Amino acid sequence: MILTEAQVASLADRTLARVAPPPGYALVLEGSIAEGFGNSRSDVDFLLVADQDADMPTMPTIFFIDGRRVEIRTRSVGQIAGHLREVAGYAGRSARRIATLDEHLLNRCQRLLHAYVVHRPELVAEVRGNLSHDDFATVMSRWWAEHARQSARHAVLLTTLGEPGSAAVWATAALQQAAKSWAARRGETYLEPKWLSLQLERLDDDPLAGRCRTMLAAVPQAGNIREHLDLVAQLGVTGCADDPHRLVVARGNEVTTWQIDDRVHLVRDRRDVFVLGEDAARVWRRVVWGRPVVDLLADADRLGVPDAGELVSAFHRYGLLRVTWQGTPIGPRLPMAAPLGAITPAPSTATPVLSIAGALPAHRRSIDLLPVPAGRFAAAAMALIWANVMIENAVEDLRGALDQQQWGVAALTTARAVNGGLRALLSAHGVSPLPPDPELLHRLDLVPVTPARIRVLAERLYASAMPDIRLLQDFVTEVRAASGGGAFPSSFDSPDGWQRTLDIGYDWLRLGAYLDQELPLDEAQDLLSSGGVQPHVAAGGRLQEAS
Amino acid sequence: MSRPRTVLVTGAAGLVGAEVCARLLRAGHQVLGLVHRTRELVANDGRAIPGSDDGRAGTVRLVSGDVTLPRLGLDDATWELLAGHVDLIVHTAATTDFGRPAEVYESININGTAHVLELARQRPARLVHVSTAYVCGERDGTILESELDTGQRFGNLYEESKFTAEQLVRKAAADGLPAVTVRPSVVVGATRTGVTRDFKNIYVVLKLLSQGRVGAIPGFFDATIDLVPVDHVAALITAAVVDFDRARDRTLHAVGAAVRMRHISDVLAEYPSFHVPRYLAPATFDPEDLPERERSYWNRVLSLYESYFRRRQYFDDSAAAELRTHRRLAAGEAHLRTIIDHAVRAGYLGAPPIRDVRR
Repeated sequence: MILTEAQVASLADRTLARVAPPPGYALVLEGSIAEGFGNSRSDVDFLLVADQDADMPTMPTIFFIDGRRVEIRTRSVGQIAGHLREVAGYAGRSARRIATLDEHLLNRCQRLLHAYVVHRPELVAEVRGNLSHDDFATVMSRWWAEHARQSARHAVLLTTLGEPGSAAVWATAALQQAAKSWAARRGETYLEPKWLSLQLERLDDDPLAGRCRTMLAAVPQAGNIREHLDLVAQLGVTGCADDPHRLVVARGNEVTTWQIDDRVHLVRDRRDVFVLGEDAARVWRRVVWGRPVVDLLADADRLGVPDAGELVSAFHRYGLLRVTWQGTPIGPRLPMAAPLGAITPAPSTATPVLSIAGALPAHRRSIDLLPVPAGRFAAAAMALIWANVMIENAVEDLRGALDQQQWGVAALTTARAVNGGLRALLSAHGVSPLPPDPELLHRLDLVPVTPARIRVLAERLYASAMPDIRLLQDFVTEVRAASGGGAFPSSFDSPDGWQRTLDIGYDWLRLGAYLDQELPLDEAQDLLSSGGVQPHVAAGGRLQEAS
Repeated sequence: MSRPRTVLVTGAAGLVGAEVCARLLRAGHQVLGLVHRTRELVANDGRAIPGSDDGRAGTVRLVSGDVTLPRLGLDDATWELLAGHVDLIVHTAATTDFGRPAEVYESININGTAHVLELARQRPARLVHVSTAYVCGERDGTILESELDTGQRFGNLYEESKFTAEQLVRKAAADGLPAVTVRPSVVVGATRTGVTRDFKNIYVVLKLLSQGRVGAIPGFFDATIDLVPVDHVAALITAAVVDFDRARDRTLHAVGAAVRMRHISDVLAEYPSFHVPRYLAPATFDPEDLPERERSYWNRVLSLYESYFRRRQYFDDSAAAELRTHRRLAAGEAHLRTIIDHAVRAGYLGAPPIRDVRR
């Protein structure tokens, strides 16, 4: 211990003078100094043990004495005994079960069991009787071993996927955890990894300790992965052989695949939408739950997709798929850190957000997160489809009205067509729900940039008593350009193009149904089938055309 | 629970028949299995069910016959043996295939039932007749177990043949034959594992749709199809045998949970390699609009199931609920996932071979 008994006693006296200890209390020094580690900057951590069952507040009181930060906590005998008994109950359980134990609970037990007793040792001994050192060492060894196993398996996965840099980090983590497990089995149960080197020094009579210290002192490198994993096994951690064939693809949590025309979109947690580039989509389409990862990579190779491991790794990182070790989930976590969960990338900045055929990926290998939530994405897309239907119908009506010189009807249908165009423009940028039709022209500031000519043409068309179909076509052309071309793919170019737009509408209906969008699905089916000419769409539906 | 009986199971080698044989054996009954060509009984989980020619203890006595023939195609000695000993007949023999010629349904499903009734009357033996919930035809709404002839239109010849067979059974019952009718819906893999011995009917539909062989079908998102695990069907039939006196003169729906078409879409989307079909409005769907290859699959296979994509049927099973020992499936969507997972594990469903992948 870096402090003498006299120094500890002095610090204890001066600390107790500032607090009101409960009657019959015991006092211990715990933490790194008590464990024989620490340095001149280490905190002095006292624990007051109140001889009672009722819980005590857990927040520490902090003082500065002789330039040292001194913390003192209070816990009751009932609290501490409860902690120790809980851990004791795990002594005979499997490593997987033990690994579910909370590290803070284990840390409290460790600190109490290995504390330096300052006052009333008989009370401390009595409460320590709830958990033997041997049982605690067994629990800690298995706890660390399970974490080492998970980290090592994750390292094997990352190596298989061609991510050596990340794999090296996890191989090192596995070695650190395996060393903690090995040391715990020998009574070195202190949790904090930062004193591992000193723990290993105390076990230096075994050559494995020295090897661990040497390897852990080095910066993680891809070239050392195999060596690290070999040492993990030698330290007694089994079940993590460097064998990629044990890695199996498994279903992610609430991830669905929606192909819109020929573009693949993934919806995660019914909330996030990813759009895949062509290569990413081809690899994704080969994913089959329960298949070995190596088979997936072999498929990608046969398809000619280079470095498919990187793509699979990204799918995995984003939580779009999971990988198991022969059916058992892999749950890596760094020491004293939260378990590794799904990571969310920064959203795509592409504009507009969507087209008739979905979002536009930046490149072939894109796995782009869209900047709008799934529900709004689907709603905006269906509004975009419907805007197309609306314009198509309006233009047809306009032609008929002009033929018959029905100027009033023609003016109205022109306004409908303009509304459709403005709706399409806003929808393509993800605006949803849309403003009411009469306000559309005044709400073009909802999108980042609106060419002035769109506004001018819309105003002229709204105001025109003698509708001009050429002017309307100019307007549509401008809107098409401002919405990236995808808002009106070819609806006005050919019957086939128009049919394709309607066909894609069915793709969106599937996604809309999945996301519980408020629309009358079956009526919408009828509507799409007929190109929107049926008048009986249910009220309240998003596809309902404003009159 | 009644005393052990001598039970004849027709169609003993079939998916449901074999499961029923296994359960009746376990319940201590003497079981005779009428088989056509197959001489080996295999349970749904792939395990062999012991069979024998002499019916020694713990085995199903295998009797080769043909329900399409008078006296089940049996020689006189075998016919008399059955007519002299069988207490109860479970009639599962049928073709459940779609798209067969009318004479096939008439021969197997209608005449087959008539021939089984002939044996039942001669003994007389009690009869548990296995029909289909879809004798209701295309009628939407809640379907009661007590209903049979409501003037319904049938979706295919299979349904119509089972309807006619059920009428034969009802007439025999009216004439005094003790009979129970069990009507399964679409029989699929087991409740817990999704395991099925045979990938037929809906599995074929799922395969064609998930592989994108047909990309668009006429159907409503809120149309429903009822899926029932094979173990639930076998359990209810067994319960009807064991507790025949309570079941007598009743019709029992052996049904599971209604799966909506939108749920089929949602669940298929959970599998990255699967395609999800477009549902087109039935009134405007025209197979001629499909690409040539899809049209071929449609005409040959999926068109046989067309009416199931637009029905909105819910099967009441109040009578069955009084007899069955299991709980009816709560969520069809979850069981659909379970059976697809099994089909993927078994390699029936999954990503098509690489040669079929197009850029």
